[in-house]
Amino acid sequence: MSVAWVILLLVLLIAGLAPEVGVLARWRRRQVALGREQAENALKHLLSQASAGHAASLSSLQGALRAGDRTLLALTERLEREGLIRTEGTEFRLTSEGERVALQVVRAHRLWELYLADELGVPVGQVHAKAERAEHQLSPADVDRLSAAMGHPDIDPHGDPIPGRDGAVVMPDRTPLSAWPVGAPGQIVHLEDEPPLAYAQLAALGLRLGQVVHIVDATATRIGLSDGENEYVLAPMLAGNVHVVAAAGVAAPAEPVLRLSDLPAGSLAEVVALDPGLRGFMRRRLLDLGFTPGARIRPDLTTFSGDPRAYRLRGTTIALRRDQSDRVLVRAVA
Amino acid sequence: MSEGAAVSPADIVREAASLRRSLEAGFREEVVTSLYGEVERITRRAVRDAGAQPLELDQRIDRIVTSRALGLPLMLAILAVVFWLTIVGANVPSQMLATALFWVEDLGAGAFDGFGAPWWLTGFVWHGVFRGLAWVVSVMLPPMAIFFPLFTILEDLGYLPRVAFNLDFLFKRAGAHGKQALTMAMGFGCNAAGVIATRVIDSPRERLVAILTNNFVPCNGRFPTLIMLATVFVAAAFPPAVASLVAAGSVVAIVLVGVLFTLVVSWALSRTILQGEASAFTLELPPYRRPGVLRILYTSLIDRTLFVLWRAILTAAPAGAVIWILGNIVVGGESLATHVSQALDPLGRAIGLDGVILLAYIIAIPANEIVVPTMLMVYMAEGMMTDLQGFDALRGLLVGEHGWTLLTAANLMLFSLLHNPCATTIITIYKETLSAKWASIGALMPLGLAFLVTFLTATFARAFLGY
Repeated sequence: MSVAWVILLLVLLIAGLAPEVGVLARWRRRQVALGREQAENALKHLLSQASAGHAASLSSLQGALRAGDRTLLALTERLEREGLIRTEGTEFRLTSEGERVALQVVRAHRLWELYLADELGVPVGQVHAKAERAEHQLSPADVDRLSAAMGHPDIDPHGDPIPGRDGAVVMPDRTPLSAWPVGAPGQIVHLEDEPPLAYAQLAALGLRLGQVVHIVDATATRIGLSDGENEYVLAPMLAGNVHVVAAAGVAAPAEPVLRLSDLPAGSLAEVVALDPGLRGFMRRRLLDLGFTPGARIRPDLTTFSGDPRAYRLRGTTIALRRDQSDRVLVRAVA
Repeated sequence: MSEGAAVSPADIVREAASLRRSLEAGFREEVVTSLYGEVERITRRAVRDAGAQPLELDQRIDRIVTSRALGLPLMLAILAVVFWLTIVGANVPSQMLATALFWVEDLGAGAFDGFGAPWWLTGFVWHGVFRGLAWVVSVMLPPMAIFFPLFTILEDLGYLPRVAFNLDFLFKRAGAHGKQALTMAMGFGCNAAGVIATRVIDSPRERLVAILTNNFVPCNGRFPTLIMLATVFVAAAFPPAVASLVAAGSVVAIVLVGVLFTLVVSWALSRTILQGEASAFTLELPPYRRPGVLRILYTSLIDRTLFVLWRAILTAAPAGAVIWILGNIVVGGESLATHVSQALDPLGRAIGLDGVILLAYIIAIPANEIVVPTMLMVYMAEGMMTDLQGFDALRGLLVGEHGWTLLTAANLMLFSLLHNPCATTIITIYKETLSAKWASIGALMPLGLAFLVTFLTATFARAFLGY
């Protein structure tokens, strides 16, 4: 045998067995991660069934996890051994410990969604799928840090409540649009993100959180909505995925409010508010720069392409792109 | 004393957590608004406006530098002047520095010989390590010492934010931030400095885009190669009267190709691995200021030039050692360098270059300044990095003896523009992102692109143009 073979064998051995970076160690880590993902998804499924008032069965788990019988049996046995679920006949229920764990997964999911949407500017339609993966990778310490960094928020980008560290969920008082009286103004506070296809439909219609709508007409097959500018038509099934609360004190503003981007060059205006849809990082940035209610602002410079435009505000010149100046509401000042 | 004083930190946290729920959603806004209100109240009492005169001047300047007719031409003219000053101004000091340092090399080598040191020790220390260092310092230092102060003057004046403002429409379409224009301009001096300069971009996604694409603007270390190729190959095909203009034009053209690649790759990145909308774009346009001389000298020379130079020295010395070893260890009648370049030759030919060029690029990973001298060393079968006096001799060697064509020159320009950043830049990407993943993507993505583009141009040229 030549030296080369020995060296090759050694290299292969090291690559296979090295701790942390070796193939075997990686494979084992991956198995552990997969096991965690499956267990957590099962607990999440049980939690959502419980909150809908059903118990979970083997077949409902099968639908949710898309796994074979043998895998599921092994999984449920393991969860039962660990004291997270208990079996009642053919049904599975969460133990209180199991519920705690499941709520932490939901908490990680919703915090991550919020972080992606508000801080990183990921489109809201994409955050669910990304959070579905990240929720199994975050440690409890990561989740706490995430929550603290965003000021312990309690609502995710779809309007769902974020469980607290202790598992406490403050369920907001809200009504599905399908049960909302015709004609009454309601503010959208929740757009259900499960199943993704239904959410995509709502998003494609152009419905968004914070929007104030009223039902124009409701029949058994369709619900017609209006927000004063646009009309929307949804199936009653879909309308059940939209929740509203009574819109309090959202009378039309006394004076005409326009978007900063529509303000003609050289005319003086006063900031009224920032669009409620503008959140997280972008909102903080504008506030810190002094876009606060009452501040005087005047368009100053325009590039040859018309976008961005620079504004004179509080003695400084600040350039904004159109998609941001669209979200600053101003009132012309004589 | 009293029982009320015994409040534990845990109590306070609990109290805060329960109060947090009762906060209105807009409380942060109220905090900021009240802060600004307070500031306004204080400034009204304490600050007196000395008159709005300077502001009007500022506005008049702003109208010109952002105008439709003059904005872009003015910017290009300023960029051209900075380049011209850098290239022309650096010529003489570079020569002097090279002469001085190579004189030291001879002196040192002579001293070693005098002590009776073996030839390989003298060669390794003086003709390897020291020569590598000397080469990098003499090529790199003068342009940087001119470019960085000029750049800092523009920065200090307040002109650079206006450039970002003017060019934002391009970067917006690429899913990037207008301030990337500034980091690119910095990249002309040094890509590592350009990567550091991306700190001005405050949203993480756009900052990563700027970091990963900074390499596509050619830095001072790559300009000599581009200028040499433009002069020897492109300009030589034209009458002498216009040759220098053609040379300058082709350097500008390759820079524009680099800008194009920056935009295209930024666009592709923000649709693939760095998905997301272009987030917060806020750009403050500060008032114009008279630049402070001392501050300029400090930031440009200490913060930038010396910093970059030091890192380059750390990587150039080992490169010099490797070059010397490759050039001087002879196996079977040929140096190691020749063996390696022959092994690389098929790959090099496939992308319109040759094995020697690839070898030079592998050795020059630490510092791009040494690509041409290493190439010449292998071509001329010398034992150390070499220069050739006069473009005719260079042309004779490359075209006459080693079969270079216009395709070789064009592809070498493209390869030099697109290939992986130097070791200093890769280390800087790692330090700025603290991620081995982004550092490797920052190194391998351009390299892959360089191979792909040169392979395509070579295949095209061979199929349709008869090379």
